[in-house]
Amino acid sequence: MAKAPARVSSWRQFKAILKKDIVMELRTKEMLTSMTLYTLLTLVIYQIALSQSGSGFDIRLIAAGLVWLAFVFTSMLGLNRSLVHEKDQGCLEALLLSPVDRPVIFFAKAIGNLIFLMIVEVLTVPIFAVAFMSGRPIAGPFWMIALSAVVGSIGIAGVGTFLATMAVNARGGSFILSVLFIPLMYPALLAAVAGTSAVVLGGDGYQAAFWQSVGMGAGIDAIMLLAVFALYEFVVGA
Amino acid sequence: MPEARADTLAVEVTDLVRAFGARKALDGVSLELPQGAFLSIFGPNGAGKTTLLRVLTTLANPSKGTAKVAGFDVVADAVELRDRIGLISHNPLLYPDLSAEENLLFFSEMYGVDDPAARVHELLTAVELDHRRLDLVRTFSRGMLQRLSIARALLHRPEVLFLDEPYSGLDPHAADILDQLIASVRAQHTFVMVSHDLTKGLELCSHALILAKGKVVLFDSRDNIDADEFARTYRSTVGMGVA
Amino acid sequence: MAVDRNRLTFLAVAVGAVLTTVAFVMAFVFAAPVLANNTLTTGGGAMIGGQLIANPVLFSQKIFYFHVPVAITSFVVFFFTAFYGARFLMTKDKRYDTKARIATEVTLLFVGLTMITGDIWTRYEWGTWWVWEPRLTTYFIMMMLVIVYFVLRASIEDEERRAVYASAFGILAFLDAPLSFAITRIVPSGAHPVVLRAGGGLDAIQLSGFIIGLVGMLCLGYAVYQMRIREETVKERLEALKASLEG
Repeated sequence: MAKAPARVSSWRQFKAILKKDIVMELRTKEMLTSMTLYTLLTLVIYQIALSQSGSGFDIRLIAAGLVWLAFVFTSMLGLNRSLVHEKDQGCLEALLLSPVDRPVIFFAKAIGNLIFLMIVEVLTVPIFAVAFMSGRPIAGPFWMIALSAVVGSIGIAGVGTFLATMAVNARGGSFILSVLFIPLMYPALLAAVAGTSAVVLGGDGYQAAFWQSVGMGAGIDAIMLLAVFALYEFVVGA
Repeated sequence: MPEARADTLAVEVTDLVRAFGARKALDGVSLELPQGAFLSIFGPNGAGKTTLLRVLTTLANPSKGTAKVAGFDVVADAVELRDRIGLISHNPLLYPDLSAEENLLFFSEMYGVDDPAARVHELLTAVELDHRRLDLVRTFSRGMLQRLSIARALLHRPEVLFLDEPYSGLDPHAADILDQLIASVRAQHTFVMVSHDLTKGLELCSHALILAKGKVVLFDSRDNIDADEFARTYRSTVGMGVA
Repeated sequence: MAVDRNRLTFLAVAVGAVLTTVAFVMAFVFAAPVLANNTLTTGGGAMIGGQLIANPVLFSQKIFYFHVPVAITSFVVFFFTAFYGARFLMTKDKRYDTKARIATEVTLLFVGLTMITGDIWTRYEWGTWWVWEPRLTTYFIMMMLVIVYFVLRASIEDEERRAVYASAFGILAFLDAPLSFAITRIVPSGAHPVVLRAGGGLDAIQLSGFIIGLVGMLCLGYAVYQMRIREETVKERLEALKASLEG
């Protein structure tokens, strides 16, 4: 039986995996609903935590941290689910059996996770602002916050997808994911909060602080993503 | 890529070892299987049958020794090899939240199948699932899942088909359909099947292999095998096998 | 070969013990005390070593003779976690995974010591039990990473997969430590200023005491690692024997 001569285009495979993940998610809305719900619940917890702080408390001091915390918690949930789908019916094995380069699987899954994470972020930020920041406007322009969110989210999605691939095979799944993720992402998260915070609080030279933090965040992302990219091949086949 | 030369062996394994530390899942396995053959692999649990299958399908790498399928080395030529093999497992390997058609179209994209829509339609008809093509896979019965799984495995016209206990969990009707499907494509593929069902396995095969503790206990072509003697050998290995 | 390694280990323990003791003595007896920047407001000072000392003597600085060598040793050993992890991924040889695991155990030991000595320092320096200054924070994260390494190992059942995952995580964790250090120094940390003292302006005796302590700690680190490796190798040979007898 003659075989088709050309190797399958990686781009074609990438698109197929990404499209599949999006179609599956839109159909079930499982990840998005649970992630959004989880974020809302986190906001409720914040309200409880801040309930005794009094009206004079300027939440802008910790707003960036609170928002990023919500992103991290909700991404743990989402990342875990995205890999559980694959493991469930042995589908990851079916993918590994096909002539696809392992990095393509990684990119497709990571980008899919990034998209879902950003959708949840877009929903979270306005709700947070309305719930906690009425009458306390942010100092800098919004696009800076968006940029900081993008840089941080890329790191979360990339490293998170990698760790989720391991965690899905571990006893205690999503606990393991959180426990691996937080210390490893500490530098990236610190940079993200610093950058966002600079914009929220303003003050002299906040732009310089912002660019420094975002720059460091991007650098940290680059290093971690490069490492994760190199290691994925070993981990996904194990 | 030119098709495999007629004298290329479908499966060629030489002193295959798969070990981690001191534990050996496969301990020096060697065998040769000609094209168009049907190999049934038997053995007790823990004998290394699944490991052998995983090595041959590039899901696991050998620690020592070599393995070639359709002339391609499982390590060096893994990507090209994946294009030429298919796996039917007791797991359906299908996405429950996609329809039958979407599942097959997805895998067509992964294998780079030409004219995917036509090929998918052709296969859905062959496995008698065309009327359910828009239904989500999560609504399928076990038998239907297995049929769709076969369609998935055949999408890219593999040279060698691997089956990992495909009959397990199937009711007699579904098993019949599986029989028919295998018979219909028997001539165009080489088969390697792992089975616990001695009768079924012997009935279908042209070659038989018994593994125990990672070693070959018996490997021969069907013609040379006496069913009763084979059954006795098999039962004795199950007795000595690590459960 | 094994004999040489044994002797080397014994030597390392001996040297390490001697050197750290010497460093200890030097730190407390010979090295000049470091003075705080503020002058004593009451009492007018005291006569120490024939000189009038008006600034409070920083006893807590002595901790650095141990804190820094232990910290550096832990980082050096952590490098081997990543190194052996990488070797394992390349060769799939179980022995490398064992080496990586032992290296991580030793790292945990030394990071633990780092945290304890660091905590003592904080208590004497700032009067509080903890401060989120860059170095301490970095080592705290490192300690978390090392603990998590073992949590990960414990949660994977398949042996080979466990080794692969642990190797990958070990490499990432090792990369993360300097990144943590960099970010904690650059990001404005609000209340707590960066404390830069060690290495700044040490005189000859102080410096030599420090170096001796460092070398001593590294020897001890090496010795502990080798002893554990010996233990593990024996255990694994026993397992292999058992397995082949059952076969």
